[in-house]
Amino acid sequence: MKKPTYLADGIIIASSTAYLADVDRYLDQKMTEAGVDESARADIAISLSELVNNAIIHGNKKDKSKTVEVRFALKNSRLKITVEDQGTGFNPGELANPIDDDNLLKEVGRGLFIVKNFVDEVNYKRSNSGGTIVEIIKNL
Amino acid sequence: MKINYHEENGVVIIEPKGKIMGGPESTALHDLLHDLIDQKKSRVIIDLGRVDWMNSTGLGLLISGLTTLRKAEGELKLANVTEKIQSLLTITKLITVFKTFDSVEDAVKSF
Repeated sequence: MKKPTYLADGIIIASSTAYLADVDRYLDQKMTEAGVDESARADIAISLSELVNNAIIHGNKKDKSKTVEVRFALKNSRLKITVEDQGTGFNPGELANPIDDDNLLKEVGRGLFIVKNFVDEVNYKRSNSGGTIVEIIKNL
Repeated sequence: MKINYHEENGVVIIEPKGKIMGGPESTALHDLLHDLIDQKKSRVIIDLGRVDWMNSTGLGLLISGLTTLRKAEGELKLANVTEKIQSLLTITKLITVFKTFDSVEDAVKSF
């Protein structure tokens, strides 16, 4: 399985949850360089882990030949992170509400809900190859 | 990946550390929980005092442990819940599902 590729502004991993820690460490380094304060760091880290998990499991169906690409940009105290998979896209409007009583004890399905609570914006785009790009923005 | 645990007055106390985000550490916690359940342990506390944070995968593991234990008439409780995890439990309404305690001692006494 291919090891992570580090870019100036991002990291590319094969679709395996074994690489979640690599992404987290890279994010941690980036947040330290940018001087992100402690109160925001966990929110951002949790959110990114949710998106990368989703890209690996739901986007790329854990196909290790497919990649997840994470990119970071910080400008004017606005941190933007994008997570791109090589899947076939999804409709965020079709997600069940995890805080409905019927869904409360489900083991899955609350990742994006958590992200929306921890960041300022969540945007979804289709990549040129049909995969999903999720963009999160956190005002620092 | 080894997760520490010990038993006290018939209650198993599991002590995960670090970040629970869906990687090998999550598999280890899931496997340990279910191994203990297979050994007929019915009273379990997860001491979250050394967990930096967890994501929805971590929450899913807790739910899995809780529901499996309750089916066997057991219970899973949480101790030393950090501020960030408390925030997660509140946002997801799981604070209404799990019993949480400020200390392991209080959690053990509650059984």
